[in-house]
Amino acid sequence: MFNVKLSLFSQTKQLEQKIDAMLDKIIESAMVFKKAVDVYLKEKRSDAYRKLSKEIKTIEHDADSLRREIENRLYAQNLIPDFRGNILELVENLDKVINEFDEVAHQFYIEQPEIEPKYHDKFRELVGQVCDCAENLAMASRAFFRDLPVVRDYAKKVYWYEHESDKTTAELKECVFDSSLELAHKLQLESFLSEVADIADLAENCIDQLLIYVIKRDI
Amino acid sequence: MDLTFLFFLSSGLFLGWSLGANDASNIFGTAVGTKMLKFRTAAVIASIFVVLGAVYGGSGGSDTLGQLGRVNALAGAFMIALAAALSVYWMAHLRITVSTSQAIVGAIVGWNFYCGRATNMSVLGQIVSTWVICPILSGVVAVILFLFMRRLFHVWHVHLLRQDAYIRRSLIVTGALCAYALGANNIANVVGVFAQSQPFESIDFGGVISWSGQQVLFFLGALAICVGIFTYSHKVLMTVGNNLMKMSPRAALVVVLAQAIVLLIFSSQGLNAFLTSYHLPKIPLVPVSSTQAVIGAILGIGLLKGGRGINWSIGGQIVLGWLITPLAAMILCFVGLFFIENVFRQVVFML
Repeated sequence: MFNVKLSLFSQTKQLEQKIDAMLDKIIESAMVFKKAVDVYLKEKRSDAYRKLSKEIKTIEHDADSLRREIENRLYAQNLIPDFRGNILELVENLDKVINEFDEVAHQFYIEQPEIEPKYHDKFRELVGQVCDCAENLAMASRAFFRDLPVVRDYAKKVYWYEHESDKTTAELKECVFDSSLELAHKLQLESFLSEVADIADLAENCIDQLLIYVIKRDI
Repeated sequence: MDLTFLFFLSSGLFLGWSLGANDASNIFGTAVGTKMLKFRTAAVIASIFVVLGAVYGGSGGSDTLGQLGRVNALAGAFMIALAAALSVYWMAHLRITVSTSQAIVGAIVGWNFYCGRATNMSVLGQIVSTWVICPILSGVVAVILFLFMRRLFHVWHVHLLRQDAYIRRSLIVTGALCAYALGANNIANVVGVFAQSQPFESIDFGGVISWSGQQVLFFLGALAICVGIFTYSHKVLMTVGNNLMKMSPRAALVVVLAQAIVLLIFSSQGLNAFLTSYHLPKIPLVPVSSTQAVIGAILGIGLLKGGRGINWSIGGQIVLGWLITPLAAMILCFVGLFFIENVFRQVVFML
């Protein structure tokens, strides 16, 4: 009859830890992805790359099970009724960002695109901007749970990095299409660049929604 | 036991049932409306604390109501309780939250009219003035509490989930306190008029707990309140909970806290003694309506947020209910007393 159990605080704490772990997974996936791309540019599909790609897959699996646990617990324990829907949406969007990291890393592994050394620096710059975007998204989400006014600061950074990544992507695409590469090769590289830039776009969408939740929570 | 007494008591129990149906919504309406508590949980907590408040805190009748009209015949008391109960029931049926205190005041004024006795206008004025002051004060208290709580959660970086757990627990604790206060303050309204003529003997529970006859009477009244809570309050509760304004759990807690504070202010003899000692104006010790306190608090928060979220048509219905309830109780009591005296040949007042 009493849905409020004595152990509610400990259950709440467990759920808090799970949400924190989910946010950690975004940061982890961004860092491993950055490292993986760096390894790929140097060694292409080496054993080291294979390991890093597998690591991202494991992170993605862990994030999936965390998402399911968070969803189940929020509903089973009837927690935060007014924000439950928003939190579920947020967790699902965060999961999509991790999925995208995994997909792109896997695509590198399968397709093994040839990236000429003259593009390496710009490519690293793009990946760095995209990863910064995801990391700031994780920090903004963490702030949403604990320190509401700070969310805006991180959101500003996400927007800035996303904008920068758009510029870098455009520059790279221009260089690729101005080059003497085969059209098929150009299109393959263009598709890769778009895939990487999509991660920043996902983070931006996620932040847009998060800012609406902030307004909702503040009133 | 005298069966006549039990018959007359039935109207008091009916009023108790109406009070339970109505006033439980003031205590846990916002908590259930915001889905922070299940209805059954709220009903169980409210019932336990209403009984405790009635039996251990409901020490006697309300002096102020006594000054309004000294009801001195059992049949008269029966009709007053019945008229009040019927008007409260009617309002509850229309899903309009009403004040039981207002119904009782209306019924007592009706009895005064019937007996040809002058109503103490200064006491009536004092009571009616609280019907205006109470919601305003409650609104002000709610606004202050809301701003304080908002600031607190900004400064104190507690996790959203932890906030939720704290608010849930606070809602239970403050709700339980309110339920205790409701039992203590309003049991006199429900069966207080029967206190002089009650035939119950004191009961001893194995030498550990013993109840006087009056406590047994209050226990019966409280049981009637509990039945009202379980059988009918859910309907009324949803009006307070969600219809008037969509509220956050934090706002729900503020509403219950503001209600508790206002009820305390109007019933605290200590506070009055403190004000008197500093030559400040006294606050009238009047049984104020928890309904008015709750509505005032909800509107206060709504206005703080710019007034956009308030459902003014429901607010208007509630205010209309406040005007109709005492009038309906007064007319019902007057007409009922006429029938009881002339058709059933009962003594409804002593000269």
